[in-house]
Amino acid sequence: MLSVSNLKISFEDNHVLDGFNLDLDSGDIFALLGDSGSGKSSALRFIAGLEKAQLGSVALDGNDLSSDGSHSVKPELREIGMVFQDYSLFPHMTVFDNISFGINHLSKKEKIIEVEKLLELISLEGIEKKYPHQLSGGEQQRVSLARSLATAPKLLLLDEPFSSLDKSHRDQLVKEVRVILKKAGVTSILVTHDEAEANTFADKIGKIEKKQLLIS
Amino acid sequence: MKEAFIKSNFWIGLLAFSVAFPIFIVGSSWLLPGSELWSHFAQTLLPELITSTLILLIGVGIGVSVLGTVLAYLVVMVDFPGRKWLEWALFLPFGIPAYVLAFVYLGVFDYSGYAQVWLREYLGIPGFDIRSGHWAIILTFILVFYPYVYMMARASFKRQKVQMIEAGKMLGAKPIRVFWKISVPLARPAIAAGLLVTLMETLADFGVVSLFNYSTFTTAIYSAWGDFRSIEVAAQLASLLVLVSFFLIYFERKARGKAKYYSSDVSHLKAYNAKGIAGWTIFFFVFSVFMLSFAMPLLQILIWTSEVFSVEWSKRYINYFSSSGILTFLATVLTVAVATILALPSRRKSNSKTLQILIRFSTLGYALPGSVMAVGLLYGVQNISLISIHFGGSSINHILFGSVALLLFAYVSRFLAIAFNSSSASSEQIKPVYEHSARLLGASRWRLIKEVYFPMMLPGILAGGLLVAVDVMKELPATYLLRPFGWDTLAIRVFELSSEGLYERAAIPALMMVIFGAVIMLLFNKLDQEKF
Repeated sequence: MLSVSNLKISFEDNHVLDGFNLDLDSGDIFALLGDSGSGKSSALRFIAGLEKAQLGSVALDGNDLSSDGSHSVKPELREIGMVFQDYSLFPHMTVFDNISFGINHLSKKEKIIEVEKLLELISLEGIEKKYPHQLSGGEQQRVSLARSLATAPKLLLLDEPFSSLDKSHRDQLVKEVRVILKKAGVTSILVTHDEAEANTFADKIGKIEKKQLLIS
Repeated sequence: MKEAFIKSNFWIGLLAFSVAFPIFIVGSSWLLPGSELWSHFAQTLLPELITSTLILLIGVGIGVSVLGTVLAYLVVMVDFPGRKWLEWALFLPFGIPAYVLAFVYLGVFDYSGYAQVWLREYLGIPGFDIRSGHWAIILTFILVFYPYVYMMARASFKRQKVQMIEAGKMLGAKPIRVFWKISVPLARPAIAAGLLVTLMETLADFGVVSLFNYSTFTTAIYSAWGDFRSIEVAAQLASLLVLVSFFLIYFERKARGKAKYYSSDVSHLKAYNAKGIAGWTIFFFVFSVFMLSFAMPLLQILIWTSEVFSVEWSKRYINYFSSSGILTFLATVLTVAVATILALPSRRKSNSKTLQILIRFSTLGYALPGSVMAVGLLYGVQNISLISIHFGGSSINHILFGSVALLLFAYVSRFLAIAFNSSSASSEQIKPVYEHSARLLGASRWRLIKEVYFPMMLPGILAGGLLVAVDVMKELPATYLLRPFGWDTLAIRVFELSSEGLYERAAIPALMMVIFGAVIMLLFNKLDQEKF
């Protein structure tokens, strides 16, 4: 389903990844572990098409998205969703406008139905009219997740989405997000440096060691 | 994708270059061979020009820094009677053109003005010339320009962390010591930024210095062009002015340093409570600044207006007003549009050094007096015509000279910096994660700009637009030189009448401008309050 091969990333003269390979099947929930500076976020951003690499290719459902480290398909056309570490909800839009941002081609009626469905999925019904600053950090990340799921992406990337939350809320949310993703049946990659978080969240875990990915 | 970005960089670069065009023209004047006229200027006038300009800059600089900072501190940190309304009333002088304040004070204190007549007849004080020396003009400039420092320092004081001030208090520091040792050093970058704008405005001023017969670079440039018809010398003098502005910008950057001064949150400091005599003394001080810089001049204008209204008023004033209004509206919309395009966040844009330098250049017009801007444009158009004729084409002089388009071009070049600084301050706060989110959600670049960037930049864009509107309405020299036939503005009317000493008659257009300016300042203040 997803195939990343021979990825090579370096910052200035320092190679962080060299010969990174990853294959995922449809519906897999995968966690990518690594210390800070190990290149795990860069790998994710390469898959998303946001950053280039020295070498490497990405294919999704048999379609080539990137090869030789550069991208042939723009991020907006990849059908890949992403949840960021920073709260990335548009601050001037309501929850409704945020979630429906990616499904602009639908009619107003269809959008309402879709947003309602997604809010139910993340158990935050009735907050359509609220603004991001009126929500807690955990709520914002769940809305962020709903926003990414709205476009029905083939692949969802989660870049340390829990690390800005405090510990007590984090454990609960990690479990909840796993349930949501399983329900939605979307193939996902979580980047984290927390081994316990990876264990709770994922079906498969990989760790970056010596510039390569070791699947455990 | 890459090509599209290179293309967009190219268009943005071209836009910035066009805006900077008059500045490049002025700079290129040094490529021309030296003339006798220049050596005459350099030997006879330059030393005096430099001295008088320096005295003016130093006097005005010290004055506005002290007055603006003290007023801002009092209004933010001390609770005194009348503080609430004085806080916004102190913004109002922004709406008064400098030359209006100048002619009001000249009208009152001139040899035949009633203040001097009274002093002569009742106190026997001999007549004096208010135009001689430096004091009167420096005081006038301080009264008009202190709001720049006041505005910046006030915003900075409001953002200072409660903890720091309270730590100071807990360590036993008295209010005065907290002011000197904590608040002022923390607000230093803001004060420096306000000071920079003030000094640029002072350098570029034409109206006040000519009413006071005070010689500065601007008057010399005007004389080179007006009396000697030498566009080269005018441009060479002007480029010296640009050089001075470069230095000022450099020192401001240096004053700002690398330290991060602002805390992003707005703290709600508990103000010192000034009771009794202390409170009323402070009130009296702040109130008298308001009276001298706004209320009394306005009152004087009202009195003169009522004296001459029945004779002076005619339909012409509707025309002056609509010319001012149409030009202000068009120039503001254009300037804001250009500024927004240049300030939009873009990684590719910030990666291109050339583009960054071009954008810097496009904002330098603020330091250029309007007359120089105008001369640069006329000179540029003329050269383009000559080149066009050389290659068998036709002249474009008759299309552009005396056209609204050229005048609007001058306004955009002159005032872009104000709109740009304001909108780029708000665009700098837009994190890259918003762009990434929007793109991964399938948004095109256009949708990203329209639905994400533009609404997030809107407060900055609006605030910049209001400030530009006030400045365009007040603009005098460029309008004077470039206006199309029949497009006399209120500013021109004020200047023409007051430079002939017809102060009473000048009061009518001045009053219209003051009202216009005050309305815009009130809108600006409302916008500003919503931000806090």
